[in-house]
Amino acid sequence: MLQEADIGVGISGVEGMQAVMSSDYAIAQFRFLERLLLVHGHWCYRRISMMICYFFYKNLTFGFTLFWYEAYASFSGRPAYNDWYMSCYNVFFTSLPVIALGVFDQDVSARLCLKYPLLYQEGVQNILFSWPRILGWMSNGVLSAIIIFFFTTNSIFNQAFRKDGHAVDYEVLGVAMYSSVVWAVNCQMALSINYFTWIQHFFIWGSIALWYIFLVVYGSLPPTFSTTAYKVLVEACAPSILYWLTTLLVVVSTLLPYFLYRAFQTRFRPMYHDLIQRQRLEGSETEISSQTEVSSELPAQVEIKMQHLKANLRQRNQ
Amino acid sequence: MEVEGGNTSANDAVARKISIQSRRAKVFYQFTQQNLPACKPVLTPSWIVTTFLLMGVIFIPIGLVTLRTSHSVIEIVERYDTECIPEKFRGNKVSYIKDSTILKNCSLYLKVPKHMKAPIYIYYQLDNYYQNHRRYVKSRNDQQLLHGLKSNDTSSCQPEDSSNGLPSVPCGLIAWSLFNDTFKFIRESSELVVNRKNIAWKSDRNHKFGKQVYPFNFQNGTFIGGGSLDPSVPLSDQEDLIVWMRTAALPSFRKMYGRIEEDLDADDVIAVHLMNNYNTYSFGGKKKLVLSTSSWLGGKNDFLGVAYVFVGSSSIIISLVFMLLHVKNPR
Repeated sequence: MLQEADIGVGISGVEGMQAVMSSDYAIAQFRFLERLLLVHGHWCYRRISMMICYFFYKNLTFGFTLFWYEAYASFSGRPAYNDWYMSCYNVFFTSLPVIALGVFDQDVSARLCLKYPLLYQEGVQNILFSWPRILGWMSNGVLSAIIIFFFTTNSIFNQAFRKDGHAVDYEVLGVAMYSSVVWAVNCQMALSINYFTWIQHFFIWGSIALWYIFLVVYGSLPPTFSTTAYKVLVEACAPSILYWLTTLLVVVSTLLPYFLYRAFQTRFRPMYHDLIQRQRLEGSETEISSQTEVSSELPAQVEIKMQHLKANLRQRNQ
Repeated sequence: MEVEGGNTSANDAVARKISIQSRRAKVFYQFTQQNLPACKPVLTPSWIVTTFLLMGVIFIPIGLVTLRTSHSVIEIVERYDTECIPEKFRGNKVSYIKDSTILKNCSLYLKVPKHMKAPIYIYYQLDNYYQNHRRYVKSRNDQQLLHGLKSNDTSSCQPEDSSNGLPSVPCGLIAWSLFNDTFKFIRESSELVVNRKNIAWKSDRNHKFGKQVYPFNFQNGTFIGGGSLDPSVPLSDQEDLIVWMRTAALPSFRKMYGRIEEDLDADDVIAVHLMNNYNTYSFGGKKKLVLSTSSWLGGKNDFLGVAYVFVGSSSIIISLVFMLLHVKNPR
């Protein structure tokens, strides 16, 4: 039975370790099952679904800027960025925040997960990984790429980008666009999560800082190795105020659509975990007499949501 | 653990060690139990309205300042590739430009709209010229640019790596297609001095082009792609070549030609005597001459300012709409 089930949980005890050896999860006492399901089950579901959606988003953002650039390079296959930038994108500059999300993220604390067991229904009804959500993240990626590419190329077009009159070339545009991509993608992570430990802060802001450190280090290698990246940040981009202003504009404009969506969604169509977070913040902890019945002291929106979820459950059981 | 009366320092050390270990154990316990101290911000309506308002308040002034700076840059752009062909050759421009017996000089007259402060930068702008094409960009050899004839492997430059059996320095399509129009500026019958030094990036001059490398067997083949180089000047001093070889990002680009170190007054008429040598007619390209001052932001481009103002004002509108909806629909 343990092998046949979607998830088999074995309890290690006086009757031996046979159940433990053939199960997916093993616990020591039966009462730990509640915590395993309601706390870790819910967290795992949210982490995995968010991680997958975010992965698609960040790679679409990066890849589509390359695609739009090809339209301006007569589709010859010249990448918009130096080869090493592209190789290091998924390894150094955007991987650590996703790992932090996948391992540490908590939208609702453990205590509240146990207190509101109906939160587990989010996983059962696949609310956080439905097709509209996935496609929404993907279109966010494509839209971000469009904004990044067109804002960057129109701001840093063919005019001089510094006081000393130097005109824009391939290296500078590549660095400007890539910096915007790295900033936008990491700040998007910061906007999506509600739980910041020192790990999240270190990984997110550290990844962005790592990009600039990488540019300095790679740019100081001899030009036969670093080709187009030779001294590009130190000599060309960093003294240019236009470069920094463009990065700021592009990053904020890229994150604006998602922030707008999230603002309206949490205020006018909050999801169950949004309501719980808001309730925790307001500190108005109403007592729930039992875990199974709906208490009349809950705020109206929470009640409606709970009824909605129960109705869905009944529908699925029929 | 034996505690002796007078041995307090050892006791302290042990106690400190235990407390450090217990602190580390505590942090490790928090880590494994996923109970680290955390900041859990919640997106409340007040935060939303504040954020949007802040964005508007920061972006609109930046946008206005940037727009004002861009408007303070004075730019003269003049397309010359169509006017500079004499009437009788307008029907067959390609054969005109390829004919080396005809002298290709041409005169333009530029009127200065407002007072332009020195230094005034001279650029040539090419449109519909894909300097970012992959095969074009590949066609160079950085080792040869640094070390000259000593480098043997110039296969990436083919077919422009040798001509008449001898290797070419610098090899490749990028160098072969060197831009070779020249410009002379005359104001009130006295020639304006154009500074053609220091137009390339310093790192290019010092580290990418060899000081002991001289052009050899360059532009000697059957097909002439562009300008030729003085074989007595080392590559690190050939600034036109260095500027040209730093390939552009987009099909419409500008490259620096030189600098005019004196002011130009409003309503001055500058006569430009140019040599229209470069062939952009075979592929429908355009050539333009640009004279521009520069500001702390660079050249003239209104897009950044307009975009900042647009994003800032939309943020403010969004915050007002949100506030209105929030107040009208109590939860």
